Amino acid sequence: MFVKKRFLLQLALFIAVVALVSLSLQAQTFETIKSQVKVHVLKNGMKFIVLERHEAPVVSFHVYADVGSANESYGITGISHLLEHMAFKGTKIVGTKDYKAEAKILEEMDALYDQIKREEAKAKTNSEKIKEMEEKFETLRKNAKEYVATDEFVDMLMKEGDRGINAYTSTDATQYINSLPSNKLEYWMSMTSDRFLNPIFREFFKERDVVMEERRLGLETRPMGKLVEDFTAAAFKAHPYHHSVVGHMSDLEKITRKDVGDYFKKFYGPNNLTVGIVGDVKTEEVFKLAEIYFSRIPSGPKPEAVRTIEPEQWGERRVIVEAKSQPIVIMGYHCPDARHKDIRSLEAMANIIGQGRSSRLYEVLVKDKKVAVAAVSVSGFPGDKFSNLVVFYAVPSRGHTSAECLELIDEEIEKIKKESVTPEELTKFKRGEVKGILDQMKSNSRMAALLTYTDVVLGDWKLMFDQIEEIRAITAEDIKRVANKYLVKKHKTIGEIVYEK
Amino acid sequence: MKKQRTLLKLFFILCLLVFISGMSVFAQKSPKDKFIFPTLNPINMPKVETVKLKNGMKLFLVEDHEYPTIDMRAMVRVGSVFEPTAEIGLASITGSVLRTGGTTSMTGDEIDKELETMAASVSTGIGQTSGYIMVSVLKEDINRALEILADILMNPVFQEDKIRLAQIQQKTAISRRNDDIGGIAYREFDKIIYGKDSPYARHPEYVTIEAVTRDDIVGFYKKYFYPNNTTVAIWGDFEIKDMIARVKKNLEKWEAAKVEIPPLPKVSYEFKYTVNFIDKPDVNQSNILLGHIGGLMDNPDYPALSVMNSILSNERMFKKIRIDEGLAYSVWGRYGAGYQVPGAFSCGAQTKSESTVYAIELMLKELKKIREEDVTDEELAKAKDEYLNSFVFNFDSKAKVVNRLMTYDFFEYPLNFMEKVKKGIEKVSKKDVRRVAQKYLRPDKVQILVVGKKESFDKPLSTLGEVNVIDIKIPPLKSKKKK
Repeated sequence: MFVKKRFLLQLALFIAVVALVSLSLQAQTFETIKSQVKVHVLKNGMKFIVLERHEAPVVSFHVYADVGSANESYGITGISHLLEHMAFKGTKIVGTKDYKAEAKILEEMDALYDQIKREEAKAKTNSEKIKEMEEKFETLRKNAKEYVATDEFVDMLMKEGDRGINAYTSTDATQYINSLPSNKLEYWMSMTSDRFLNPIFREFFKERDVVMEERRLGLETRPMGKLVEDFTAAAFKAHPYHHSVVGHMSDLEKITRKDVGDYFKKFYGPNNLTVGIVGDVKTEEVFKLAEIYFSRIPSGPKPEAVRTIEPEQWGERRVIVEAKSQPIVIMGYHCPDARHKDIRSLEAMANIIGQGRSSRLYEVLVKDKKVAVAAVSVSGFPGDKFSNLVVFYAVPSRGHTSAECLELIDEEIEKIKKESVTPEELTKFKRGEVKGILDQMKSNSRMAALLTYTDVVLGDWKLMFDQIEEIRAITAEDIKRVANKYLVKKHKTIGEIVYEK
Repeated sequence: MKKQRTLLKLFFILCLLVFISGMSVFAQKSPKDKFIFPTLNPINMPKVETVKLKNGMKLFLVEDHEYPTIDMRAMVRVGSVFEPTAEIGLASITGSVLRTGGTTSMTGDEIDKELETMAASVSTGIGQTSGYIMVSVLKEDINRALEILADILMNPVFQEDKIRLAQIQQKTAISRRNDDIGGIAYREFDKIIYGKDSPYARHPEYVTIEAVTRDDIVGFYKKYFYPNNTTVAIWGDFEIKDMIARVKKNLEKWEAAKVEIPPLPKVSYEFKYTVNFIDKPDVNQSNILLGHIGGLMDNPDYPALSVMNSILSNERMFKKIRIDEGLAYSVWGRYGAGYQVPGAFSCGAQTKSESTVYAIELMLKELKKIREEDVTDEELAKAKDEYLNSFVFNFDSKAKVVNRLMTYDFFEYPLNFMEKVKKGIEKVSKKDVRRVAQKYLRPDKVQILVVGKKESFDKPLSTLGEVNVIDIKIPPLKSKKKK
């Protein structure tokens, strides 16, 4: 007992000191970095955010296209991600042995593909005709392949030492990343401006197959993947967060090269692209080169924003996924988008309830009752550009059920609505956030990602640094208020994996 | 005449263009133009200080004043390969309960709370042939974090309820280990390569987890956790002298002892061709792994093997099976090499059930090809350029540099090992690639594993050879009485 008391005293003292002093100390670090970030916008609307960091002679690039699966409509789900794959296929200059000859065959293929699809859609199909056309299509594909310099775009960058070449698609964005030795800044400018000026979606049909394999790999062969897809679909009945980023299989089977081309025209105008560049570069040189290389991309109208807003939920929803798997349970409540004033308090709430070994869910479900081996809550699911969910999920221990976990999670939710969180819990969140940002800033690539995300989704990159003030200002009262406002039974969706017999 | 006029017109247009857009038209380079890259700024090699404390603990320190944080990573000579066969899981439980099970002055839960409240993390764990300790903390909390760390390392009490918790977590993991097809494939492939009872492939069962007692855990900890068996890397916002003093103050009282590390179990491998299958009727994609035993990193052929790996994976498997055929999202082929224990040579792909056998045939074809024909000049140049031009990324953070040095030291590799590999790679020729492919790859003696739904396969697996069906049923703890 004596030990424990001393510990608590120490803790209280420690918290009183750090909560007051130290966050302002870190704030100075943030102010210094903030003053070094520079921004330049080209006439066509393309934005460059640059931070010089001379730790090592390397530089990271992050092209943030403000388009994700939430911009998709019925029939073309998964097209944002498919387009991301196609953006590695080269241009009129890169990836081809003779673009003119190649282009002719690609057009023939598109036309033939349309014919095949039209024939297949007929009430009474002529299977012989289809077979004939398919054979011709395969011949054309092989002819086109003769002109392809396979994977040349990636090869050229990797040859110059690109260790970070990759891309990601989410519900909200498509992001292209590179990391090069810093003397290759201009090379990146040349390659990347060509990439978004003259992309050629060659080898389209095989790449579509790859994406279908990716869907099988990430979603269809994984019980958790199936659960997340169905749970999200249930929680969003109208807003396009409804469908998964990878898209429906039947859409993937039918999306055409023209669909991708149209989608590119609509969403890859320079005013929809934001570039973060962090590393051993001179800001002035970056801006100069950006003008030279990227201002040639013609400007266009800003794409229309997503129209659909998720309507209010009328009652609890529940989905069940049957799979050959032990149980997993996930539960979510509707929450506002990342720009909403309540968002920081909601983050704090999710952190206090379910992040870390001293969080409430871990203490109760894992350590104390031992009904789960993991119990976590996170906000901003599946994205945060639009109104989204705060989710709670649990992995029941062997012999325990989802129902037991749900009941205990519900108890914790009721508790946080009634009682104030403790000062220790608030400090844990606040300091944790600061430490988290500092850790991200240690990597050029992650810093570039953070700057572009903050600028596009929150509306201003400066908020990345200013949020520290917002975080400091959160009170126990704020958390209680948002818990009562958003954790409403009517607005709850539950998804469970049940063992398939 | 006509030609001259055209030229004149062209000149005029060019002048106009220059006028309109400044120098930019001429400064712009097409991706395929010749680029002359400016000299790369020099790499600032961080100064790494090495110290040995009186109790034998070795420190590698480097200052990094960019952000106000401090990180540590320690490696301990211990491993699950040393746990008894009847208690598989003992090492893993010891590694986690060391941190979660409290000390003589604080309970595990109190430690959790205090660390998280100051945004610090301390974690411990034991892998196959090494243990780790990690600390990450805001600079101003380093003293308290070191106190807690010292307490955990010197005075752990391994509370019973946290042992039970770790056992529940292990048993839950066992009960879930056949839910994901990827997990099944990797686990069973290791057993095929190293042997199902090998310390490098075996895994816990309910009965081996139940067998673990607190005494066993304390005994395992007491056998290996000593300062003279521990190497530590520290990096962050501190002065080296000052940090050494702080570490000494907290950790020099940790008493050394004579530690007897058993020799690492030997890997014996017999090359043979086998076809293995695990039935998973609820999936529409097969998980394929094939290969045989690999080697060690200190092999003089390691640089040539690295170049071969790059060509086999990126040039051959990826281009053929993913790009040209669209058969898989991820596909690779690489000869694995470990510091002390031979790695595995493995090729892998996940493809729809209907192309399972076809994909395997293509993979085997690529393996044969790299042995039978020289790689092209372009492939060789690309693989070497990739490595050499991205070499600078090995120095892009001080954390990377200091951790690498510690790791080399821990595994008794020369501290300049990476530079030696680089020199080796510079010299690798087409002949070398062919030679190591012939010496180390045995496509006729690979062991193939397929996890998937056999009804949908393009051809029966038996077209590849006699099929050995692997049963992955989880052995129950006790035979259940019939109702």
